[in-house]
Order: sequence, then structure tokens, then C-alpha cells
Amino acid sequence: MAYTLAPTMKSASFRDMPLWYVPIAYIWDYMSHGWICLLFAFVAAGIVYEFIPKDIITKYMGSNKATGYALAAGVAPFFTVCSCTMIPLFSGILYAGAGIGPAIAFLLMAPAANILTILLTGEIISWQIAIVRIFTSLIIAIVAGFVIANTSWGKCIENQYKVNNARQMSIALVKVPLDERLTNGFKFSWYLAKQILPFFFIGLIIVGYVMRFLPEDIVGNYLTGFRGILIASVIGGPLYTPTLVEIILGKGLLDLGMSRAALLSWLMGQPYDIPNMMAASKIIRWKSVLTYALIAWMGSVIFGTLYGIVIGGL
Amino acid sequence: MILVEVIGVEPPCARCAATQKNALQAAEMLMKDGVEIDVKKLNIASKDVISKYGVIFSPALAVNNQVRVAGRIPNPDEIVKIIKGTIAAGDKKI
Repeated sequence: MAYTLAPTMKSASFRDMPLWYVPIAYIWDYMSHGWICLLFAFVAAGIVYEFIPKDIITKYMGSNKATGYALAAGVAPFFTVCSCTMIPLFSGILYAGAGIGPAIAFLLMAPAANILTILLTGEIISWQIAIVRIFTSLIIAIVAGFVIANTSWGKCIENQYKVNNARQMSIALVKVPLDERLTNGFKFSWYLAKQILPFFFIGLIIVGYVMRFLPEDIVGNYLTGFRGILIASVIGGPLYTPTLVEIILGKGLLDLGMSRAALLSWLMGQPYDIPNMMAASKIIRWKSVLTYALIAWMGSVIFGTLYGIVIGGL
Repeated sequence: MILVEVIGVEPPCARCAATQKNALQAAEMLMKDGVEIDVKKLNIASKDVISKYGVIFSPALAVNNQVRVAGRIPNPDEIVKIIKGTIAAGDKKI
């Protein structure tokens, strides 16, 4: 068998193992194959964040709505799912003049299509799904942003938060030599790894047990066809799957027999998971949050179905 | 009197907390030389801060109302250097 970056064990391999050994075997299997792509993903995320031209983005931030949408969609992939990078950008887009539409677009785009998730989706599941994921997330993010910007409650929040005369104070960033910038990038990679990996390992342990106990016929019955897409889109969201774990769990379910279309819906459930909604509701209120959750959910069902039809089999 | 503002998310994330710690350390070093420094923590998501600075990358550091660092953690020595630079520039104007 060719060398693969994804875990290779099938659920059958877990059935005979003693309970305590299941997570160890799964993590070992995962890490022995996946460490290189995890390493690459974290390093890439850290370096890219360091080298993004921050002063330019800051300057064009609040200019107008079109720029806002373009920034939200174009910049979001370079931001990892860390509150340190997400919340300032979200509130920045919201307050600084671009308004609530681009802010929502960014909020939906960032967790669904950032470098870390795309690299991992590509390496672990398939590059086809990773690319489809980017495009579908982009479309849903912009539609949701546009719709909310035109609702009465969305407009109300926008007016409330609009900063009058958003005058940008002088920004004169200190120039840093290249070697220090690289070090900073690596430091940020390490920071991200420290933030994310604990959840990641807990997720792996859970997935190990899912593989051990979830019978294949249940997955085959319920997670295929149109019903599979519906179920996957519903549990993929509110069921809190910490960052990146949804990818491994998705891979596990795929091996157990979930259809690829249902897998796409499952992956797209990420932006409307409960912790994300809670964080956003503090800034933009529940009404807008529920609106975008509904649009994102419909989007994940529609695109899951379309993808299923295109690849020739729900 | 030099005003140093650390701009970060609220509640502080680890990176913002580190920046604030370094800023306080830098202030301590400079206070030994008799420079008066006030270190403040600002919430990057608040309306006032956004309208004033428009920074979207945290943690950020502003010295005398000018953003000097955004999106990374400056170490204490670097902050000292930035503050000294600000003082020197101010002297020239006078």
C-alpha cells in the first residue's frame, strides 16, 4: 500500500482491542502518518499570519462595502481559528465602516476555510472536498452577509455600531528584520499548536471510541443518501466539534460508510456550532446569529446535495 | 509622560497578556531612568478603540497615540527602544 498521510486503521482493527488501548492505538496511528501534515499546517499558518501586510489591510479596512466583502472573503483564509485573530477582525470590519454584511461573511468564512482546516481536509480526507469546501463556504458566507445586512435587525445593529467619522490614527509600525519575522512566525505556530492540540487529542480519543463502537450498518443506513446529508448537517453544527476534530471524525465516519456528500455537509456545519454562535451573539445579538445559522445550515444541505449529484451518488 | 497602550481582546488571550507583561516590564526599566510611563490595557473590540486606532490585529501596542506594533508580541527590550525613539522624536520637535 502506498504511503498515506491519513490514519490507515479501519474500524475492524479496533473491535478486538482492549478498551484502554483503543485511544493509544488510534493516536499512534494518526500521529505516525499525520504529524508531517499537522506540522506543515501549523508552520504555514504561523508564517502566513506574520507576513500578511497588516498596515495595508488596516488602511483599506473601512473604506466601503465592496472592499469589505473582498477583504472578508480574501483575508479570512489566512486567519486561524484563534480568538486573538478572529474577534479583532470581526469587530474591526463591523465597526470601521464596512458594516455587518462583510463582518458576517468573515465570521463564516474564517473557521470554514482557513489554511489549517483546508490543509488538513486536503491531506486527511481529499483535496477535491477541500476545494469544494472553500468555494461553497465562500458563497454561503457572502450570501449570509448580504441577507443579514438587508434585514431590519441587521441594519439596526449596523447603525448602532457605526463609528462616526472613523478617523484612522497614525499607524507607524516598527520595521522588523527578516530573521526576527521568521522567528515570530514560528513562535505563533507554536502558540497555535499549544492552543489547538489538546482539543485535537481529546478529539482523537473520542474518534477512536467512535470507530470502536459505532456499528457500520448504522452509519451506512443513516449517513447516506439525502437523509444522510440532513442528519450530517444537523449534527455537524450544534454538536460541538472542536476545531479540526470534525475533520478526523469526518474521516472516521467516511471509513465507516458515510457518503461523501454527507461528509461535505458535515464539514460545512462548522461555522454554526454553538460556541461560535455564543461568541458572535455577544456582539451582534441572537437574531442575526440565528439568521446566519439558518442560512449556513440551508447552504450545507443544498451544497451537500449538489455535490452528491455531481459526483454521481448521494 | 509617555502613554503606552496595549490593545488586545477582552478577556485577554495569552498573546495579549504576554504583551502587557512585557510592556509593564519595559516601563519598569525606563522608570528607573526617571521616565514617566503610564501603561494601559484597551479592548480591541470596543467602539472607542476601533474609532481611535482602527487596529484589527491583536495584540497591538500604541505609544503616545501611535500604533507601533500590531499582530505580534514585542519583547521588553524592543518596547524600551520604541519608547526611547518616541522620546527622542519628541525632543527634536521642541
